[in-house]
Amino acid sequence: MASEESVSTADQWVGKSVPRKEDKRHLAGASNFVADIRLPRMADVAFVRSPTAHGRISSIEKPEEHADRIFLLTDLQPLHPISGGPEMATFRNAAYPPLADEKVLFVGQAVAMCIGCSRAVAEDIAETVFVDIEELESVMDAVGALEDGAPKLHEEWPDNSFVDATISEGDIASVADAPVKIRRRLKMNRQATNPLETRGVVAYFDHRLDELVVYTSSQGPHVMRHGLSLALGMAEHRIRVVAPDVGGGFGGKNRLMPEEIALAALALKVDHPVRWIEDRNEHLTASVHAREHHYDLTLYAREDGEVLGIEGTVHVDAGAYALWPSGPFMETSMAARNLPGSYRVRHLQIETHTSATNKPPIGPYRGVARPGACFAIERMIDELADELGLEPVEVRRRNLVGPELMPYRTAGGLRLDNGDYPQALSQALGMVDLPALRERQHRGEPDGRKLGIGFAIYTEQSGHGTAEWVKRKSRVVPGFETATIRMLPDGTVHLLVGIQSHGQGLETSLAQIAAQELGLDPSAILVRHGDTALSPQGFGTFASRSIVFSGGAVAKASRALARKIKSIGAHLLQVPLDQVIVRGGAVHCGGANVAMKEIARAANIRPEMLPAGLGPGLDVTETYEPPESGGVFSYGVHAVTLLVHPVTGVTEIIDYVVVEDCGTLVNPMIVDGQIIGGVAQGIGTALYEEIPYSENGQPLATTFGDYMMPCASEIPAFRIKHRVTPAESTEFGVKGMGEGGAIAPPAAIANALNDAFRGSGAKFLETPMTPRRVSDAVAGARAGEQAA
Amino acid sequence: MELTLTINGKTETLSVDARDSLSDVIREKLNLTGTHVGCDHGACGACTVHLDGIPVRSCIVLAVRCEGSEVRTIEGTRGDDAMNVIRRHFHEKHALQCGFCTPGMLMMASDIIRRYGRPDEKQVRSELSGQICRCTGYMGIVAAIVAAADELAGEPAAG
Amino acid sequence: MKPASFDYVRATTLEEAVGVLAADDGVTVIAGGQSLLPMLNLRVTAAETLLDITRLEELKAVRETGEQVFIGALVTHASIEDGIAREAFGGLLQRVASKIAYRAVRNLGTVGGSVVLSDPSADWPACLLALDATAVLASASGQRRVALSEFLVDAYETALEPGEILTGFEISRRNAGGWGVGKVARKSGAFADSLAVAVLGRAGQATRIALSGTASCAQPMARVAALLDEEPGAQAEQLARAIRADITDAHEEATPYQERCHLHTVMSAITEARQSWS
Ligand SMILES: Cc1cc2nc3c(=O)[nH]c(=O)nc-3n(C[C@H](O)[C@H](O)[C@H](O)COP(=O)(O)OP(=O)(O)OC[C@H]3O[C@@H](n4cnc5c(N)ncnc54)[C@H](O)[C@@H]3O)c2cc1C
Ligand code: FES
Ligand code: FES
Repeated sequence: MASEESVSTADQWVGKSVPRKEDKRHLAGASNFVADIRLPRMADVAFVRSPTAHGRISSIEKPEEHADRIFLLTDLQPLHPISGGPEMATFRNAAYPPLADEKVLFVGQAVAMCIGCSRAVAEDIAETVFVDIEELESVMDAVGALEDGAPKLHEEWPDNSFVDATISEGDIASVADAPVKIRRRLKMNRQATNPLETRGVVAYFDHRLDELVVYTSSQGPHVMRHGLSLALGMAEHRIRVVAPDVGGGFGGKNRLMPEEIALAALALKVDHPVRWIEDRNEHLTASVHAREHHYDLTLYAREDGEVLGIEGTVHVDAGAYALWPSGPFMETSMAARNLPGSYRVRHLQIETHTSATNKPPIGPYRGVARPGACFAIERMIDELADELGLEPVEVRRRNLVGPELMPYRTAGGLRLDNGDYPQALSQALGMVDLPALRERQHRGEPDGRKLGIGFAIYTEQSGHGTAEWVKRKSRVVPGFETATIRMLPDGTVHLLVGIQSHGQGLETSLAQIAAQELGLDPSAILVRHGDTALSPQGFGTFASRSIVFSGGAVAKASRALARKIKSIGAHLLQVPLDQVIVRGGAVHCGGANVAMKEIARAANIRPEMLPAGLGPGLDVTETYEPPESGGVFSYGVHAVTLLVHPVTGVTEIIDYVVVEDCGTLVNPMIVDGQIIGGVAQGIGTALYEEIPYSENGQPLATTFGDYMMPCASEIPAFRIKHRVTPAESTEFGVKGMGEGGAIAPPAAIANALNDAFRGSGAKFLETPMTPRRVSDAVAGARAGEQAA
Repeated sequence: MELTLTINGKTETLSVDARDSLSDVIREKLNLTGTHVGCDHGACGACTVHLDGIPVRSCIVLAVRCEGSEVRTIEGTRGDDAMNVIRRHFHEKHALQCGFCTPGMLMMASDIIRRYGRPDEKQVRSELSGQICRCTGYMGIVAAIVAAADELAGEPAAG
Repeated sequence: MKPASFDYVRATTLEEAVGVLAADDGVTVIAGGQSLLPMLNLRVTAAETLLDITRLEELKAVRETGEQVFIGALVTHASIEDGIAREAFGGLLQRVASKIAYRAVRNLGTVGGSVVLSDPSADWPACLLALDATAVLASASGQRRVALSEFLVDAYETALEPGEILTGFEISRRNAGGWGVGKVARKSGAFADSLAVAVLGRAGQATRIALSGTASCAQPMARVAALLDEEPGAQAEQLARAIRADITDAHEEATPYQERCHLHTVMSAITEARQSWS
């Protein structure tokens, strides 16, 4: 859908790399994150957390001298348990209590909260609280969790499964006799989302407005307000949630967490503001975890490399509870449904299990489930290529959904709308010069390292609406977005939106969209978001939805406003409405024009100047839902070249190519930034980041000393090429692309490692591929060879 | 305990606890919240400030150690010409997204340029190791520092 | 993540500092604080009183005489990286310093603090062990000297007695034999999984090789060092045998991966040392 005819090229803001509006405050050190909020008499909170993975709380002792500064669940009542997860009869529910009172289910689970005049003092008090826990055997493995006799986390459940389901398409039995069968077990290990700003909450009761104010580092304040209202049993109009500057989210700040409820409840009990700033240790051990998937898959194929079917099981290690609102089931079903990837495979039969374990709850993290699914299928494709002695790229080409088949419904039930996947692959191939790399590989490296080249293809469902979320049985259906556009008397604009921008640059790109529709400069438009008292109902920023949904709402509201502006302009110019256009900050008719600010003045403070029958004000609210509820699909090809040391297992990425298509680019600079940032996180998943647990449930990565975050020395420079296939159904043809970068790297890097050691028998089926894992894989293959 | 230090050119005397880190004092006592804390154990670089002219991680510096010292935070660089050149390149090269790492990055960037003059990409990457940015993938940051250094080196009067 | 309470005293002379230590055995020395403060913040360690020694100017000195080099305990990683005592050991100290942690940490972290901590993965203990350094210790009752091989006792354990301060290291100036360093870490600036420093012998001085990344403190690799002195041209196979035997002593219960890393870093250090010599 093109924008209206009345826009001249001078106002062509969509497609421009406009430098970001949000930079100035950050560069000056003048931004305002939750931890930067200063309120009189504010006290700090520290949590007492469980040292035990699984146990029954026998008693919690508050020492006398601090008794009034220590709070247990009973002290925060009334509270209402809220259940997360899909609204499905088969999904077992266990509400995540803000503070544990009967059982603790993971190390780090909050048990009590303490108030101090500083964080240090609050921690001093927390150390004095004695929690007596009767230790129970812990469940640390998602597969073992479902075996008979495994200790149960939730005693009222029949076993440790949140839900079991089968995803089935075609008839897998019909390909059981395929000439090529490959079975592999693959695993993606657990990690944290690790935005550089940890979570944080400041809460207080505002007596003048009779409302509870909760500042929280969140991706979606409106949804959090709703959740808080349910948990506190408090009317929603008396709760204001503000997400101020948010230092990254990546999914990790998009669930209502126990600390948020606990702080809100505490603010209702005490007569001063309270603040909790998550520390990195808490983040690593008690925040949203992600990615832990086990796959046991069999690929059925023909000898020419055509993939016929995929069969197997997926276990998602969901941790102890289901986070509100969505819980972990989406993770599992998305993993299964994305297994066919961008291929024409027609038979799919996947048993899925969502297991409860004594670890923190799993939640969304950039790419949600798809990095795992992509890792699984793309690794299997390379395994198939190895088996058949073909170039992996060839096997991909043989199976990719071609543009002639679009729109194409995959065996996973996803509707791939448009694009040219084979062409994207060719383009990536063209950028890496495979023959030259093969030649270099053949010659060998002077320092004994091995060269590997790996490819991976991904698709990224984005901008999916009501029908899709209803299909997922989501208890909150983020099926629309709202925008309010308000022109002030001097012709400048406030744009109020329900999404939240925490690095995505939406204060800039949404202003570009409004500027384009209104014939204004983006500098005349101020985007406001992240405050339920300010912006209209929305769902926040996640699932690659904001540019599609909020961009659409902004375009729609801006157009409605432009229509009214034109009516007033035509009246002031005394010309017919159909002869005016908006451009360059004015309404024009031939050579005559009237400045926007004159129109704004008339509409806002000089109603006598308005045409008869037209109401005053320039204030429009519109909601938008894209017509294609199943979403539009961005896609891309990643090609990575790396050098790996066969003894130490240390990997260095020397080249990283991305070819991607996310439809129309609103701000190409911001799009590239999202891709690069996403790939960097994907590299973290692939090579560095992991939270292992000991057998008795102790987390083994509790600081940045043990948890490896990739830095500039680990991340390469990227080469990016865009293909642009505008979406048919969205405004401007945009597709969401915030997550895509993070989806393919584990697959591409594992394939490159596989390539480096092709023929040696070394297998790369588990992330992160740390030096130890790589070295062990290579050594294991050598030992196997010698034994044979 | 009483602590006297010069913060962004102004001498201040404050009452602090022995256990307060420099970042605690900067943020909580002086309310200079441009210095961010990403880990509180010396491993992310978000809290980098200049102590007597050199970058340190303020979360692992005892405030009382800084008696008589000169501390500069991001707020104290607003009028600094060289830093403003670095800022402009950060803006143009999209070297920030959420902005949380940015003050620490800038404090480190100015030191890298001071020490190297005109560092190349490889040097900048290696010098930035240990400064975590979760959002940008570093490419814009590295490009901005290289470009700012080049520009600053081209103007003999600067600095 | 904030430390429990402690008191703080600052000394301005060595005499004052050892006096404070002698008077109260609840006093912990703090130098750069780059290890101690993270540990205090995480509350994995605690202190009653911290004695800040960073104003002891005499501990910041580097003195080079004809025979030996003295490196003060408070010399920072960064000042060595920037060239202090650069010539003395053909750039070895500079090379080691520049790979420790990150610049902002190196700006405050000290050589002395690193050795006294005796972290099993730290860089300086291995380097100074390979250079056969002597630790100089001061207390209210005087001074003593301890060879580094005796000073390092175990992981986080040294021969430092209560009341003592490490003032610095004496290292005999060596005929510039070759040196080499091998290091494997999970990412740049992280503590090493394995770190080897080799200093080849020449003109009567013995070859010394040391390894970090073990379960205890930095360890000597005596067999391979002796082999190199006996047979300077020893072949890879022969070296590997000796190194494996040394690893068995240096790192009990090493995983196969650790063994491979150690073998690799020691071998790389030797190779580099040989190349730098020829
Ligand atoms: C993010 C990060 C990464 C790091 N990576 C590495 C690395 O890769 N390799 C590495 O080797 N180190 C690393 N370190 C540690 C760093 O090198 C420390 O600076 C060093 O280990 C300790 O020196 P310090 O002066 O800071 O000592 P402090 O932290 O002040 O003290 C350490 C210990 O030594 C004692 N002590 C200090 N000086 C004396 C003295 N003169 N006499 C008696 N006792 C004394 C203290 O009481 C304390 O027990 C890292 C640190 C950080 C924060
Ligand atoms: S907050 Fe100081 S280094 Fe992370
Ligand atoms: S911009 Fe978000 S951490 Fe760097």
